[in-house]
Amino acid sequence: MESYTLPPKPEKSLFKKIKAILITVIIAAIYVWTFLGIDIDWARAIDRIANNFARVIPNLFRPDWSATAEVSLSILETVLIAFAGSLMAAILAIPLGFLAAHNMTGSRILTTIGKWILSAVRAFPDIILAILFVVAVGPNAFAGVLAIAIGSTGMLGKLYSEVIESIDMKVVEAMEANGANKIQILFYAVIPQIIPEFLSYAIYRFEVDIRASSILGIVGAGGIGTMIIFAANNRNWNEMGLILLAIIIVVTIIDFVSARIRRKIV
Amino acid sequence: MIQFKDVGLVYPNGTEGLKNINVTINDGEFVVIVGLSGAGKSTFIRSINRLVTPTKGSLLVDDEDILSYRSRELRKLRTKVGMIFQNYNLVKRTNVLKNVLAGRLGHTGTLRSILNFYKKEDIGLAYESLQRVNIAEKIYNRADELSGGQQQRVSIARVLTQKPGYILADEPVASLDPPTSHQVMSYLKKINKEDNITTIVNLHFIDMAMEYADRIIGMRAGEVVFDGPVSEVTEKTFEEIYGRSIREDDLRGGADES
Amino acid sequence: MTNQSKDVIKSKTPSLFPAKTKAQVTLIFFVVLGFYLFSMFWTQRDMVGGFSNSLSNMFTVIGKFFPPNLSVIPAVWGPMAQTIQMAIVATTFATIFTVPLAIMSAQNITTFKPLYYATRTLMNILRTIPDLVLAVIFVGLFGIGILPGILALFIFSLGILAKLISETIESVDMNPLEAMRASGGNVFQVIFFGLVPQVLPQFTSFVLYVFEINIRASVVLGLVGAGGIGLILDQQLGFYNYPNAMAIIILIFVVVIVIEYISNKLREALI
Repeated sequence: MESYTLPPKPEKSLFKKIKAILITVIIAAIYVWTFLGIDIDWARAIDRIANNFARVIPNLFRPDWSATAEVSLSILETVLIAFAGSLMAAILAIPLGFLAAHNMTGSRILTTIGKWILSAVRAFPDIILAILFVVAVGPNAFAGVLAIAIGSTGMLGKLYSEVIESIDMKVVEAMEANGANKIQILFYAVIPQIIPEFLSYAIYRFEVDIRASSILGIVGAGGIGTMIIFAANNRNWNEMGLILLAIIIVVTIIDFVSARIRRKIV
Repeated sequence: MIQFKDVGLVYPNGTEGLKNINVTINDGEFVVIVGLSGAGKSTFIRSINRLVTPTKGSLLVDDEDILSYRSRELRKLRTKVGMIFQNYNLVKRTNVLKNVLAGRLGHTGTLRSILNFYKKEDIGLAYESLQRVNIAEKIYNRADELSGGQQQRVSIARVLTQKPGYILADEPVASLDPPTSHQVMSYLKKINKEDNITTIVNLHFIDMAMEYADRIIGMRAGEVVFDGPVSEVTEKTFEEIYGRSIREDDLRGGADES
Repeated sequence: MTNQSKDVIKSKTPSLFPAKTKAQVTLIFFVVLGFYLFSMFWTQRDMVGGFSNSLSNMFTVIGKFFPPNLSVIPAVWGPMAQTIQMAIVATTFATIFTVPLAIMSAQNITTFKPLYYATRTLMNILRTIPDLVLAVIFVGLFGIGILPGILALFIFSLGILAKLISETIESVDMNPLEAMRASGGNVFQVIFFGLVPQVLPQFTSFVLYVFEINIRASVVLGLVGAGGIGLILDQQLGFYNYPNAMAIIILIFVVVIVIEYISNKLREALI
């Protein structure tokens, strides 16, 4: 038998111990609540999938090419919605971004208000915004543009404000020392520092918006989503296959191009 | 005992790492390998625990050719051969004790190690190893809170916990300042003498090699160009190994400061 | 080249920007503007009365949503809870399944190239499909209910999570892993001791982030019959019962904000 000395036990404060126990208990409680609340009728689900599998999955891989023209037009509309929406957002987000950046306004209250507006806007899922705009301007693609524009403003504004907060303030100081006025400082010290990031984030947001705008049609806000919901209701899975293919191709191309452009900018 | 017999190594990209190496290292020796960077010191050391695999010849550790080893035997070999790295190679976010216990991984079952059920003996051994390198008080600190010298001592403790028959040290002091370098080398030397662990160290500082080694092996362009006890080494020997005259930066200095 | 030098001679004073950059920027500007105008024209082409008419209309129509009928909130609390539960279940399973996927799509761990490229490609394709589209397909397979919703969220978040985490894995310090291998650890031990401690904080933070995404996504899944509060919202809108719909929208808004706040605090505590 070998003899050995054990190290002293680690010192843990009572507070830390209680905290650890508390977190464990809370997480456990959340999971108990979740799994007791989730009620899935497995027998029915298995029954359904046994019936539907052969009808749905193979057809998804046999796209209905006769719908190519219609699908192309729809996906083009989706791209247009995303483009117009993200461009609007890219511009709308600029004043909000400046408002929410603490090194620009110099006022705590304004910054807090700006941050609140942005996070409030962000909390609305795009599709909920689309529902509101469909009611407001009717079931058309422009409702989608507005939904994307507002939805993206929240995130872009936040990202912009972070970019502005991270700029090198020494340049601003130097300009102030030169006797430049506020507008001059903005154009010569601030904007050159933020333009690449702003552009890059706006283009990135366009990538996200392509995905978002492809589902807006589900609530009537135009684009390929309209076809998705029709195809699903008519159980036309061959057409759905073509729609999926179109989305995958367009999203992949745009992601690729956008990544290339962003790498060039920054 | 470690025997290199006509060992050669060609990397996939065609570079020749080792050429025709014939060296025998006896148990308990403290060998320092010197040479310029790129001379093959690192490849030499890493062949012994098969982090790289020679492509020619045979390499015997305790009279067994390790070049044919596959996964299970390889892990067994590695538990017997401990290694110390230039950049300490600790998990920075993990505490010192856990880092040292990593030395026992090869001796511990997968499940047991993942569930953190180390044997009491192993924990005792880890603590003892930390005491031997005088860093036991940092046992619950995170590795990245320690200075470079302290981290290297932790990595020595990790190797000790492994209970190896051999220790390989790949440029163990290259990232340290002179006083700390001497401290780390002293610990290695002490362990070599006390536990009779064969120790092979890569160094490019001539003065340190002279101070700590029993035997020096000089390498140049993948070949052994000198092999002999420290008493036979002169400045001229180093000039031959390096293929140029000795310069200021070949010396670590600072021996009296430690 | 000759054009440029001529310009410089003509104007005598050098321009602040090279002529080529100027021309490029102008061109890009006009292309973007043109495309924008075309988009605006196209998206408004089947709008009755055009933009100005509907904008003036907008405020009167939005007025229909107010005041929201907050008294329906107790009645819709059940579906709201169900929505959160769906997000929790989907996030949990995505977290579990993402581990092997992330490891397989990390270049520094998976040295077997075909496996790496196969998982990468699969993940990339998966990520292009929007969550609601997945939900539509799963509803087609399983019928209306929460199971298709959970599956849609699961697949969608798996794609995002595996990508984020595999990128984290690719950026870890490989040295400790070499040390573990050198002391005789097997593949699992090397991953568990060398890799896991390095990625754990990021991992948790990404899981929380994906949970936030799932909460937002889950509230609208009901629009296509995949369970949760969206189903009720869809019904109320169908009955043109706008005050009730607005109450539900406000509830969604509050829940999303509260969960994001908690998740943010947790994330800050972790990093």
